[in-house]
Amino acid sequence: MSGAGFLVGLHRCVGCGSCVLACRIENGRTEEQAWRRVLPLNLRRHPGGPTYFLSVACHHCDEPACLRGCPSRAYEQRADGVVVHHEDRCLGCRYCEMTCPFGTPKYDDERGIVSKCHLCAQRLDQRLAPACVAACPTEALRCLMPDATPNTATPTTETLPHVASDATPSAVTRTDVPGFVDPAGCRPNIRFTPPRGARRAALFAALEEAMRR
Amino acid sequence: MAAPRTIRTVCPRNCYCTCGMLVTLDGHDRIVRIEGDPANPATGGHVCLKGLSYARRVGYHDRLLTPMRRRQAGRDFDPISWDDALGEIAERLTRIRATHGPSSVLYYEGSGSHGALGGLSMAFWRQFGGCTTTYGDLCWPAGLEATRLTYGANLHNHPRLTRDSRFILIWGHNPAETNIHQWRLILDAQERGAIVAVVDPRSTDTTDAADIHVQPYPGTDAALALGLARIIMDAGLHDTAFLGEHAAGVEQYRARLADYPVERVADITGLDPAAIRGLALAYARTRPALLIAGFGLQRHHRAGQTIRAVALLPAVTGNVGVAGGGWQYANLASHCLRPLPLPPEPAGMRAIPVSQVARHLDTLADPPIRAAWIERGNPGSQNPAAPRLRAALSSLDLVVVVDQFMTPTAACANVVLPAKTLFEEEDLVTAYWHPYLQWRAKILEPPGHVKPETEIWRLMCERFRYDTTWFPADRIAYLRQLLPAGRESALEALMDRPLDLSEHGDVAFADRRFPTPSGRVQFASEEAAQRWGVGAVPEYAHLDEGHASALADRLPLQLLSCKTRDRIHSQFGNLDWVREVERPHVIDISQQDASARGIIDGARVAVWNDRGRIELAARVTPGIRPGVVHILEGWCHEGDPDVNALTAEGVTDMNHGATFYECLVEVEPV
Repeated sequence: MSGAGFLVGLHRCVGCGSCVLACRIENGRTEEQAWRRVLPLNLRRHPGGPTYFLSVACHHCDEPACLRGCPSRAYEQRADGVVVHHEDRCLGCRYCEMTCPFGTPKYDDERGIVSKCHLCAQRLDQRLAPACVAACPTEALRCLMPDATPNTATPTTETLPHVASDATPSAVTRTDVPGFVDPAGCRPNIRFTPPRGARRAALFAALEEAMRR
Repeated sequence: MAAPRTIRTVCPRNCYCTCGMLVTLDGHDRIVRIEGDPANPATGGHVCLKGLSYARRVGYHDRLLTPMRRRQAGRDFDPISWDDALGEIAERLTRIRATHGPSSVLYYEGSGSHGALGGLSMAFWRQFGGCTTTYGDLCWPAGLEATRLTYGANLHNHPRLTRDSRFILIWGHNPAETNIHQWRLILDAQERGAIVAVVDPRSTDTTDAADIHVQPYPGTDAALALGLARIIMDAGLHDTAFLGEHAAGVEQYRARLADYPVERVADITGLDPAAIRGLALAYARTRPALLIAGFGLQRHHRAGQTIRAVALLPAVTGNVGVAGGGWQYANLASHCLRPLPLPPEPAGMRAIPVSQVARHLDTLADPPIRAAWIERGNPGSQNPAAPRLRAALSSLDLVVVVDQFMTPTAACANVVLPAKTLFEEEDLVTAYWHPYLQWRAKILEPPGHVKPETEIWRLMCERFRYDTTWFPADRIAYLRQLLPAGRESALEALMDRPLDLSEHGDVAFADRRFPTPSGRVQFASEEAAQRWGVGAVPEYAHLDEGHASALADRLPLQLLSCKTRDRIHSQFGNLDWVREVERPHVIDISQQDASARGIIDGARVAVWNDRGRIELAARVTPGIRPGVVHILEGWCHEGDPDVNALTAEGVTDMNHGATFYECLVEVEPV
């Protein structure tokens, strides 16, 4: 991993959707499609698999397919790896919708252009965590920065007695989990911690084992 | 144009978390950011999706911005002026009072918006000569009383101490959905090695992350608690020193435990004896151990005795007064405000149990109810027997509903008055999980023709030529006088941060002094026996409408209607932002029960009993205990307040609570 991205703590995420709403507010996406989604896996709690939630927006890939597929150079990869979409350069051709394997760019009918998560680059530049990360009530969602140390800084961290500001991910992070694949070799900058709890952990291990076979 | 600014306030919903919030407005008074207030150490700088959704809710397209009057025939409403609305209300109230007396008017207030100023409605009704109000509570009162009888007060440890627990037993509770900031602390404790055990007939986001999960029949928790205590004491794992010095009635209690051998408890609860033993030993052997009980296990008529039985476990194991340990039900440390100054109570006051509004609307005599004023609540969706309640409202001479949106209750009104939101009037807000009193700031002017309820009541007094000096001329001065004696100067500090004005400290009962009749933890309570006619020592008895009752032969499934993270009861469910991320509206049914009825996943089913019938989609899940079905409450998207068509208007054994979870049904494919 080299660029900025997200760390999703599957052991802490309860799929509440606060990240989706925080993104809407921060980026003024009141009526439009949300940039972030929460994908629930196995809400029925089928005994063959764990129940967990994938909170995803843009993965700010090292090899961004959106950027490669854009004829108008509306996409830019910043030095820190954040993939930014410049709306003023967008033709609305929607090629990026086709090339991105993760369904990240969102087309807006009224404006005739696409848009997507920019990792709250304006906040990162002020050393603030992205809005979705700052809002996460279980602190499941974190921001990863290119130097590979997790950026847990939120606007408020230093004043919280119970959140260590130097907190590091407590479990081994992994690049893929059942339910998430990188089919186009984009090298997405998203990492996961495996689910915790007797049931979730055992089922998750079984699922991984099955996928290996 | 004002300058962009960030203002500190508090979410006043009926929710454990009662989050401190920071709201940022741009120069046009538009909300551009909502964040948690880091100065509230319990909620830790976060809100939740509901708190965030205020950015949508305050200016939502279907918010009521003007008084509305229903047409003579039909369901349509027309906007009218305040003058016309209040004039018509006053005229009808006067006529009804002249014919039937003041107590023919029902004044119903729900818990939809917390704040001290809500009580000012009584400045009108007392001068009106009285009215009929409700007593009891739909939610939690039996457990409050059971805790008070046992420990003398409803206090518990500061939330931050959750992280110091080594064993967390969560009972009838789903904090991953309904107390998400507590869930964060539980996850922290788990990451530090704590074991998390959950007692819940359902599988939830909480049980998914648990190390131990047991799924008893709903309503059998008292037997499980007494069975656990028996195993613990038989194994000698109880805290003899604590019991010797700080407990009263232990001998009677031990005699009672003789009736609860593990085999019998397994039979009652439907659990494996080995699972019961395992839970008992794990809880008793790990210290400090925290027991968190939800409100769910007291929503049946044996509620109080159930909570008493469960609440004794921390005392048996000596986990009371211990950081990282304790009994958590509700923390009323912040409930320290002085009562509002109000006119003297007139003779014409009357009260009915809040869980039986529908029945009393239909049957109350001398005088009958002829008018209703409803605010901060949606009883036409959220109370037991909701369809009957709506029908009864529709037959009254006058129904006034004050709300922000056209709820199923408001649809029954003659006149609907637009309500303020949390951002549109100052107030003081207490909590029931953390110990903080918080200041609710006025951030925005009410939009359109909206008036705060306090102003509506003042205008009503003016119209009736009553004394209006009971109402605050200066809200800040008024709220200051509600602070505890000697702490009035704390008001400015409250505007700056949440304050714990209690003197209880972070560890509840750290001094082992219990404000009970004996000064000790009451394992036996004569007060319980005298006041509520229950056994002095808690015991288990079958529910009248439970899996072991005769009715179960015909209606074999126990229906639970639990709370979701997506709404506070029926609030927030109307917002598109919330609907986008909300849980589906289904009935959860076990594979076994579904197969026996020919129900497949996703099929539309009818759920019925002798009180009602509803239809919705089935979700066949291995996660729920066979014999139990579940529907999330509070769903009223298409004006369809589902689940309370089925629930009964029961009353709990203590303190006048409701019995939503004592509800047998049958399910069949449509």
